[in-house]
Amino acid sequence: MPQLIKVRPTKIELIKLRRRLSLAIRIQKIVKDRLSILMLEFLQIARETAQARRGLLEEFSEAYKASSIAVGYQGYIALEKDLLASEQDLEITTGSRNVAGARVPSFELKGAEKATRGYSLADTSSCLDQTAQRAEKCLEDIVILAELQSSLELLGREINRTKRIVNALEYLIVPSLQATIKYLYMKFEERDREEKSRLKRVKVLLEQR
Amino acid sequence: MSKDRQMPNESPYQRMLQECLRGELRVLNAHLPCEQKALSALLTDEYPNVVCHDGSTHLFKRRELEYLAGMLDTDEQAALLLPILIEANPGQDEMAIICRGKVEDKVTAKILDMPVTTKQKRIMLYKPQLALIRKSLKTTTQYLFAPKSSSTLAPL
Repeated sequence: MPQLIKVRPTKIELIKLRRRLSLAIRIQKIVKDRLSILMLEFLQIARETAQARRGLLEEFSEAYKASSIAVGYQGYIALEKDLLASEQDLEITTGSRNVAGARVPSFELKGAEKATRGYSLADTSSCLDQTAQRAEKCLEDIVILAELQSSLELLGREINRTKRIVNALEYLIVPSLQATIKYLYMKFEERDREEKSRLKRVKVLLEQR
Repeated sequence: MSKDRQMPNESPYQRMLQECLRGELRVLNAHLPCEQKALSALLTDEYPNVVCHDGSTHLFKRRELEYLAGMLDTDEQAALLLPILIEANPGQDEMAIICRGKVEDKVTAKILDMPVTTKQKRIMLYKPQLALIRKSLKTTTQYLFAPKSSSTLAPL
């Protein structure tokens, strides 16, 4: 049973309530649309996250295999020396994008494909090159996965919030407004009936005189 | 909420709900850009972005811009305004891409790999099609919530 809102039974209040009801219904429609868009985006990002995670694990295993071969071929100390020379800072462009009112982060790795990696190509084997390529691909995938995962989390939170608003509108606000409007109509009809019977009574009394 | 709109016996809970709903309407389209930028201009920017109505910046991914540039010639790149707006109408299953020229048509048709028709400067899309577009153009498209249904809106 929806709860009645405490209002004075006047026409002005009825007009105000009807205005509030139309606003609530309009917002309900828009918020429901927003929820469906957020769900669509959430499902898509969830699928992409699962795919990216699988891809990253595969890339990691490939990179690990390639690095093992490179270590076996060059030796650990020589490889470490080359890797120290190839150390570079990562540059990631960060920003945000908006998905139906929810702000999600956006990351982009800058200059992922490098022409030179800092070590001499003449002194090192092709295994090291292959390892470096794999590692760079891993880095790219990590950045993509980070973006997807944080987006997924933020969208999930936004969906929860929007769902609460939709439920509040659907089960609380709109029914209580409708019930109050119905109550006011009944009250006005009751007043009309009272007025009619009073007039009839007065008429009878006047006729008796 | 203004005083004339308040109910005399309105509970604080009711007032809070009403305020929350009004806030929801306010923030719904706050993420829209103040002005759209041409693809050709964005490609030359170091950090391609647009400023939104709420003061925040919306960053475009270079990968997406290059993907779009790959399917358009130089004139079309100058004609394509980004972000492309996707209009959501309350209570309708389809959404619409707002297009000002033929470029949006071309981009949509290429991504969907099927011909599209424009009606009242809008390309109607079903949700699976929308998912395809959003998958390839995540940052270069944005949602727009129309307060009324598109049939009642005047053409752009």
